[in-house]
Amino acid sequence: MNLPRGNHASADARRATSPERAREEDRELLRRYHETGDTTAREELIQRHLPLVRSLARRYAGRGEALEDIEQVGAIGLIKAIDRFELEREVSLATYATPNVVGEIKRHFRDKGWAIRVPRALQELNASMSGAIERLTGRLGRSPSIAEIAEELKTTPEEVLEAMEVGSAYSTVSLSSGPTGDEELDPLETIGGEDAEFERSEDRAALEPALERLAPREREILRMRFEEGLPQTQIAQRVGLSQMHVSRLIRKSLALMREELLR
Amino acid sequence: MRERIDLEAPLSGDFQAVVRLIIGGIAERVDFAFEEIDDLQLAVERLLAEAGTIGSVRLSFEVGANGIRTRVGPLSEHKVAEALRDGDAMPGELTLRRILQTVVDSFGVDESDDGRIVVRLEKLKGVG
Repeated sequence: MNLPRGNHASADARRATSPERAREEDRELLRRYHETGDTTAREELIQRHLPLVRSLARRYAGRGEALEDIEQVGAIGLIKAIDRFELEREVSLATYATPNVVGEIKRHFRDKGWAIRVPRALQELNASMSGAIERLTGRLGRSPSIAEIAEELKTTPEEVLEAMEVGSAYSTVSLSSGPTGDEELDPLETIGGEDAEFERSEDRAALEPALERLAPREREILRMRFEEGLPQTQIAQRVGLSQMHVSRLIRKSLALMREELLR
Repeated sequence: MRERIDLEAPLSGDFQAVVRLIIGGIAERVDFAFEEIDDLQLAVERLLAEAGTIGSVRLSFEVGANGIRTRVGPLSEHKVAEALRDGDAMPGELTLRRILQTVVDSFGVDESDDGRIVVRLEKLKGVG
């Protein structure tokens, strides 16, 4: 899943038109998507409404979760809204999508919230670590040490290590409800050239059944890590996620695969 | 000079986070990068996941200037040994052996006197 970040053209165009015109354009795109299956219309709708997602996600910033993660979750709500929108509805897509986006974000905090009681300071440190690691990796040209992360965040190495574990504890809750259920399937997985390419890969035929149960993005990340041997930093760049997020996804995916194998 | 840290931890999942935290603390002393720590934690985590949930496991960490040698076991789950002794995984397969090949610099299996196994992992600093 790559939350598109660079393409603001659609959003800019949307702002430049009147609200009525924007609603008409949305409706036309929805018609194209729902009546003819035009996925480019779906992607344009996503692009047009990402500013709404970002705006809503910002309301939930500072609660121990990285803003980029909240935006990714909110984007899932947006896509669900686009997919479920009924053309007979009189409401605008923005109006219909807002409770979906907020609901998805709230559900994320509720279902995937802290599995153990974690001091707020550690939650905040965990949330700021992702950005610190990205900055340091860019600056140093390599993965930073714990001491370097601690210095960047003006804290101690011990607190950084604790914050790392805090992130692990909180993220494991979502494992068993991963991508195997329809409701949990991340609709953003359908976006992006790399996933499509992976689907066509000859290697796919040889994948274990448990590996095939993973969402395309997670399979692709595992393939890059364990077949291409790419380091997390490079994978993070390729898929547009933070290194910490890639690390979490790898751990989650391997644990999920094992659960599947034991069934 | 190598320093050694021994740990015995329950195999139940509740203590995996504690093991991870300890590995992080040890690796930090060797000035491992974030990604190297994550690799070593992942290697041990996947091994313990295969080791069952009953009883406890011993972990031994030998800390040197260039890296950490870890011994996990004795383990009674022989399928761990089989998984590690098997040949290279086929393209597209994701086996324990392939995971360890990726995240640590070397690994091996020793048989203990009682027929159980000990897995050796070596993770070096600043390699790859």
